[in-house]
Order: sequence, then C-alpha cells, then structure tokens
Amino acid sequence: MTTLFISDLHLEESRPDITGAFLSFLNKNAVGARQLYILGDFFEAWIGDDEHTPLQDQVAKALKTLSESGTEIFLMHGNRDFLIGEDYCVRAGATLLDDPALIDLNGTPTLLMHGDSLCTADVEYQKFRANMRNPQMQKMMLARPLEDRQKMARQLRELSAAKNQGKAESIMDVTPEEVVKTLEHYGVQLMIHGHTHRPDIHELQANGQNARRMVLGDWDKNIWWIEASPGQQPELKKAPL
Amino acid sequence: MILLQTNLGDIKLELDYENAPETAKNFEQYVRDGFYDGLIFHRVISNFMVQGGGFEPGMQPRKTRDPIQNEADNGLSNMVGTVAMARTMDPHSATAQFFINVENNGFLDHTAKNAEGWGYCVFGKVTDDSMETVNKIRATRTTMRAGHQDVPAEDIVIVKAEVVEAA
Repeated sequence: MTTLFISDLHLEESRPDITGAFLSFLNKNAVGARQLYILGDFFEAWIGDDEHTPLQDQVAKALKTLSESGTEIFLMHGNRDFLIGEDYCVRAGATLLDDPALIDLNGTPTLLMHGDSLCTADVEYQKFRANMRNPQMQKMMLARPLEDRQKMARQLRELSAAKNQGKAESIMDVTPEEVVKTLEHYGVQLMIHGHTHRPDIHELQANGQNARRMVLGDWDKNIWWIEASPGQQPELKKAPL
Repeated sequence: MILLQTNLGDIKLELDYENAPETAKNFEQYVRDGFYDGLIFHRVISNFMVQGGGFEPGMQPRKTRDPIQNEADNGLSNMVGTVAMARTMDPHSATAQFFINVENNGFLDHTAKNAEGWGYCVFGKVTDDSMETVNKIRATRTTMRAGHQDVPAEDIVIVKAEVVEAA
C-alpha cells in the first residue's frame, strides 16, 4: 500500500482546473492508498474555519469520502493556510500535523515540513512567520468578525496584486545549512517538504551519512506528488494539469 | 429541448433561454449546425463534472465560432444536473465546450465581475430521466491521452445532437 505526499495546491475559486485535478487525483491516486499527507499551502488563503465557502466545503467532503474509504489523511499548515483549524480537519476526516512532523515511512524515519521555516535567509519573512504563528496573535485574529477578516483578506489581495502587477511573488529557496542542521537535530536522513516551488531531489550529507531532501512542486502547469511504497525508494512524480 | 444521443444512452437538455439567452442560443446554434455530431466527452471526473463538445475521437479539436460573453452573473448555480459552458482562464472565452455538473459545484458560480470571480455560466439542466446516462458517463474509466488527463479510455461519443419538441 502506498503513502502519498502533496503540497502547494494553492486551491482557490479562480483556478477550478486545479481543484478539478485534485478531485481527479483523489479518485485515481489516493483511493486505495494507505495515507495521504498534505504538506501545506493546500489553500491559497484561509481566514478561519467558519468561512464555509463552497470550495472549502466541497474539498472537505471529497477528503471525508476518501477517509471513509480507508485512507488516512494528514494536513500540515503552510504559510498561506496556517489558520486551518481542528473544525475543518474534522469535516475533512483529516488529522492536523505539526510542522515539522517525524514519521515512520515504511521503516525509514522521515521528517515532513512545509518548508518555509528552512528559508532562513529571508529574515523579514521569518519575522513575519514568527508573528503569524504566535497562538495569541492567531486567537486575536480569529476573534474578529468573519466580515472583517474577509474584508482584510480582500484588501491584502488587492495590495499584493498592485505590488506584483501580475507577477508571481518570488519565494526564496531553503538555506542549505539549515537543512543539514534540521536533519541532524532530528537524526534523520530523509526530509520531504514543499513551499519553494522548486520540485527536485537533493542528495546531501548529514549525520555523517548520505541524506536526501525531496521537494514537492506546486500545482500549476503540472501536478506533483511523492509516492512511497514498501521496499522502494519514494518517487517524485508529475503529470500535466 | 436538446437531445444528445450518445453511445451510452440519451441525454435531454432543457436550455434556460430566459436567464442565459446568449449562451442558450449559442449552444442551440451549434446543435443546429451539427457541430456536436461525432464529438466526445473528453474530460470525466466522477466527483466533479463531465465535459465534452470540443474534440473528435483521438482528441482532434473541431473549429468553433467566436467566443461568447459570459452570462454567469444570472443567479444560476452549478448544482448537480445543471449544464454550464467550459472556458479558458478568460471569463469570456466560452465557445462550444460544455460540462454537466455531477456534484454540487457552487465554487464555480459567479461572485464578482473580474477574472477571478466571474464563474462558469449555467445555461440549462439535464432532465431527471437523463441522469442515468450521465451517471454511466461519470462511472467510466479514464486515462491520459494527448496531454489531457481524465479522458475516457473508451470513447463516449455524441452520435447526434438535435433540437426536439418537448414531450
């Protein structure tokens, strides 16, 4: 039985092609899998579990159907959907994962992360991240009325659209030393993450041995996933959207 | 009413000329021109929608007329059994391809008059007795073909599309 990893779908109403590809992925790849891990930025934006947009509800329903068919689903926060809470996870039949999370992948200890915490060269972002991940800050944010949060999100979108003028915002890559440090802190040789939109497999040295960092891709022109079967090396796969 | 005769059975469509006049007339014109005859359902996602009206078997596209204005701001919702126009990322790019919703896909509805929120224009629905055929299409096995995901492994062909009198 396989274990699947995906991340960075950035689901949003303006990209039904990606939502369609995800629903298709659930049918074709995830049904029958032992586990599905979603490693952050599943949604493009999240302002609280109480929003209940048709997209959020439909994706929850599809995940719930998968979970009821016997596939375990795990959800990790990304930098865009870090406010996803227990309520949504219950509706989706998913378990919320800490970032990082250490799992046993067919006998190999494996560290799962979204990946943004590895980009330590982006000092400004790390400050923002620390602020946003502060539980008190989140509590304060979620305590505001839904309409206020929706308005705030709209303004942020307009602001960033004006700033980028249609250009994709640049995401820094991970800091190599931070990767080694993290692998050594947890004493593992395999790491899987997303966030950087730079899908690849990197061989490196950590703990005085060969180590491997597998990076998932964002869903845009292609869909990306990692498939791990017992007795085989996990594989990074892609297909056209 | 429009009758689509497929190799999996008939599908009857009631077009909504009142709420989606331009879209319904556009679709009817393609039917009258015989445009859909011999085309396939080329994108089938069983928990989402089934789409057709653009390709011949072998994924050969058929030349369409110019695109139409998007009438998705008509208050109709992409619920199970409704028919809507497919399009590219440009809201006003629909030509002939259409899809039948097989789930309640409210996230496809119009929310704002911009590229992100324009939504997908519902312009009719299939009759209740046609859902049996739609569900057969929905349950078909799919594969990847000519760079397209979710293409039925066995062609599902619109043998003939015609305008018929409502029974």
